[in-house]
Amino acid sequence: MRAANMLLKKIVRCSAFSFSIQHGMKRDLFPLSRTLILSPCLKEDNSRSSSEKVDLDAWKKVMKSGLQDVSETVSEPKEISALAAARETLELWRLVGRAVPEKISEEQLKAFIECPSKSAQKKYLKFLHLKELYKKSNKRKMDEKRERRLETQEGASETEEPKKNPFVCLWSSSMDKAYNWRVAQSMIFGQPLVFDMSYEKYMSVREVANTVRQIVLSEGCNRRSVDPFHIHFCNFKDDSLYHKEFIKYYRGAWDKLLITVTDQCYTNIFPKDKLVYLTADSPKVMKTFDHNKIYIVGSIVDKSIKTGVSLAQAKRLGLETAALPLEKYLLWNSGAKNLTLDQMMHILLTLKDTGDWKKALEFVPKRKYCGFVNKPMHELKKTLNLINMLKLGKRPEELQKRFANNYPKRLTQK
Amino acid sequence: MALFSQSCQYGLQALLWKSRVFWPASRCRQLFAASFGIPKRDKVSYFSFMTSSSTALPVDPQGTDACPAKKRSEIDYEEEKGWDEDTQEIHEGKLRFSSSGGALKKQLMNHTVSRHKFATVQPPERPLCAEEWSRLRESFQSPELFEEVMFNSMIRYNSPIDVAKSLLTHVAKSNGDIGYNLLVKYLALCVQQGKTSEICDMYDILKIRFKTLESGAYNLLIRGLSNSDQWRMALTLLEEVKRVTVPSRSNYESCIKAAGRHQEMTLACELYHEMLAKDLVPTLDVLQALFDHSRGMKNSALQKELFGILLYLRENQVYPHKTLMRSIKLWFESIPGENWKGHLTNIKDSGQCPVCSHQLEDSELTEEEYNNLRERIIRDVIHGTDTFRKTSPQEFEAFQTFVENRLPFDIVIDGLNISHIMPRKVQCENLFEAVNCLAKDYARLLVLGRKHMLTNSSNWKREVMKEMQNKADFFFAENISEDDAFLLYATLRSGKHCKFVTRDFLRDHKACLSDSVTRHLFRKWQRGHQIVFSSSAGGKHIKFLPACSYDCVVQTTGDTWHIPYKDTFEEKYSYEIPRKWLCLQQKYRTT
Repeated sequence: MRAANMLLKKIVRCSAFSFSIQHGMKRDLFPLSRTLILSPCLKEDNSRSSSEKVDLDAWKKVMKSGLQDVSETVSEPKEISALAAARETLELWRLVGRAVPEKISEEQLKAFIECPSKSAQKKYLKFLHLKELYKKSNKRKMDEKRERRLETQEGASETEEPKKNPFVCLWSSSMDKAYNWRVAQSMIFGQPLVFDMSYEKYMSVREVANTVRQIVLSEGCNRRSVDPFHIHFCNFKDDSLYHKEFIKYYRGAWDKLLITVTDQCYTNIFPKDKLVYLTADSPKVMKTFDHNKIYIVGSIVDKSIKTGVSLAQAKRLGLETAALPLEKYLLWNSGAKNLTLDQMMHILLTLKDTGDWKKALEFVPKRKYCGFVNKPMHELKKTLNLINMLKLGKRPEELQKRFANNYPKRLTQK
Repeated sequence: MALFSQSCQYGLQALLWKSRVFWPASRCRQLFAASFGIPKRDKVSYFSFMTSSSTALPVDPQGTDACPAKKRSEIDYEEEKGWDEDTQEIHEGKLRFSSSGGALKKQLMNHTVSRHKFATVQPPERPLCAEEWSRLRESFQSPELFEEVMFNSMIRYNSPIDVAKSLLTHVAKSNGDIGYNLLVKYLALCVQQGKTSEICDMYDILKIRFKTLESGAYNLLIRGLSNSDQWRMALTLLEEVKRVTVPSRSNYESCIKAAGRHQEMTLACELYHEMLAKDLVPTLDVLQALFDHSRGMKNSALQKELFGILLYLRENQVYPHKTLMRSIKLWFESIPGENWKGHLTNIKDSGQCPVCSHQLEDSELTEEEYNNLRERIIRDVIHGTDTFRKTSPQEFEAFQTFVENRLPFDIVIDGLNISHIMPRKVQCENLFEAVNCLAKDYARLLVLGRKHMLTNSSNWKREVMKEMQNKADFFFAENISEDDAFLLYATLRSGKHCKFVTRDFLRDHKACLSDSVTRHLFRKWQRGHQIVFSSSAGGKHIKFLPACSYDCVVQTTGDTWHIPYKDTFEEKYSYEIPRKWLCLQQKYRTT
């Protein structure tokens, strides 16, 4: 059947070709004024009179020709399930060039169908698409690395020479032991740091997943630090979404983590006057890091900006609150003042070790600020105003006046 | 990045514009963008203004395509923002991703830039033969993208379809098949030029080749077919779309317009109702089509339908634009035997129509609506998900008892907001002046503030505060509480006569209300009760604009209709209400 089909296609193509040759002469009727601006090769082509006339509808024949038998097979399954239909639409979207993943699992397809709106569907598809791209490029890189390693090994095996090293090689397992020793110490003597896990109801599934990922990262950097915190997960409910996500990341290690997990509130564990709730909405600004206080960080990622959620929590419990002095030390550029949990952890660890704000606030993402404040505030504001004026292109006289005001006379007169 | 691509296309366009006349590129792209489901703002129409005295207007609704050159830039800009623009053509083989997320994004961006560079290929003017195409393809920077880029620019420059056909022939001959994306792009070109037979052919081909089609192709087919005499096929296509997903409102728009054009008004109305049932918001163009095509018909059922549309505008507080208003006017005037007369007018602050001296509806809510709104404000705005987010239960309770003991107020003032009216002045002086000014007109004042106003400071002098407290009641909330919610509560609790003063548009509070009905109620109430500081007064004295005394919605008394409308030339914000009205009245013959 297929062979016959191919044959048919070829015949059609040939017939179309001969047809086009027959009508070749009509080409000369094209007015000469409409020459092409395209490329020199075409111009010279134009002058040749022997080129053939194009048959414009030949493609239709090709498109239809291979299909007589295909259409028979298509007509059989009349009723296709919603999933299959969605799969086909996705395939067509991919062909058109929309951001759609190549492979999609049954579950993802169901999630796609259950999206409440068309834009939600688009977003979900784009998310899957990007995920797929990342995965692919990672895999490619891994393959390349393996190849390179094999190559170097081959090269090295020829000239192998046993090396003598006076030091015992420190493998990661022994490093882990050293780290765990430190964290275990901190669990007895260390300063507590509380993650408040009571925000599940405010978050979507993806936000919870992001939160857990950030906490996993911060736990990691705490473990590797010189003087770790004693981490508490408070208000932690078993079988909550948080719990499930944590199990996904840690698997068996979850039960061996050197942290305190409890379903109790921090107010039950610690004295209230020692607790400080860290939230970007707080009216109070943190001046110094207090080694006797117990800091609380809300485990929440809020992509749809919910202002005042953690401040409300602190207000309800009557706790002291504090915000990082971002404005005081950084020239804020753009972006929200709330930081990710791992950035918070880095900042707090640095503060704990050194008490140096400048060093600690290095962990604020660079895109969010222009630079550090090292001049008095009012001077900086003046220069900022000047820059803004230059940007906006205000009138020159006004600018000059401003300039004269800002800088001493002898400078301008020179 | 956007800037770059914009400017580079621009230069080219300008060049082309000079060298020869061709179909406005922006228009083609507009069509293309729309056909792929890229949302587009309300269509702008370019009519000259007609004075109120003119009755019969020589308006052809089809003749709106002439875009002044000035506007073109805006349209172009809008189309750059399609959702799939930035990731439309990601060819993994060509990209070398680096590890971090930011880098990947940058890569994608770079790719888009390069795509735009490709997009400036000029399509040939006449059909080429296979040899010529392959030569062109070879000379192109990246041959694997060639066909796609070429088709894109054909759509942009609206090339004759023969050229596109010759390219398709070339592709078909060299590959033995044509990809779906190229077919859809060709279809877009056909739709753009209204080639009906080609569109039908394309439909056949697509139908045989693919089991189902995706939304982009359906959009194009429906749009293309509804403008031709094959418009009934568009309806069957609409049915087909319905089986897979909810059709977009532009699908319905094309079908309704087609039905209207062929005088199938019942069908058009059916489609319109179906659209409403699916929670789609009809475009004003749909409504206009319905009014335009039922002009001069004597059909009571249809008439009822159209009155229904006007009530829809009323309920959703939609203001028609000028072209739609004109269609409504012409339709009214064309009803045989009813003798309607329409006039354009401006309504004065008193709320009396200067043409028919009819008093417009006032903006008062009914008792039930009022209670409903008050409860919803307490539930959604003040409490929300967590009372502690805006205030605290103790504070709210204290405020409630405070208000109950002093009811009713005539005016409630947002003290902190008003104290910033004139930035040059000390804050408490601003407030003092405002309170003095308002005390002349209103007996019982309530000023809301925060506790920090009580501590003696350079901005808040204790003596001035003391003096003010003699004239008005004051409530000071905690420094971290939100006073706006209290403002709303106190005003609503005092009764219908009570007004409030703030320059805030209260949009964030409106957004807290969960359903659109209550939001509409809130807007209506806000229009009638908010007093705003007038900026035009300037100078030294504070002046306030009175609240709008009449309700700015479509309204009727049976033999009159009053319809507010927007001028298309001036941008209207959502909080601004139109001042221009269409007054329609039925004149009975006295003789």
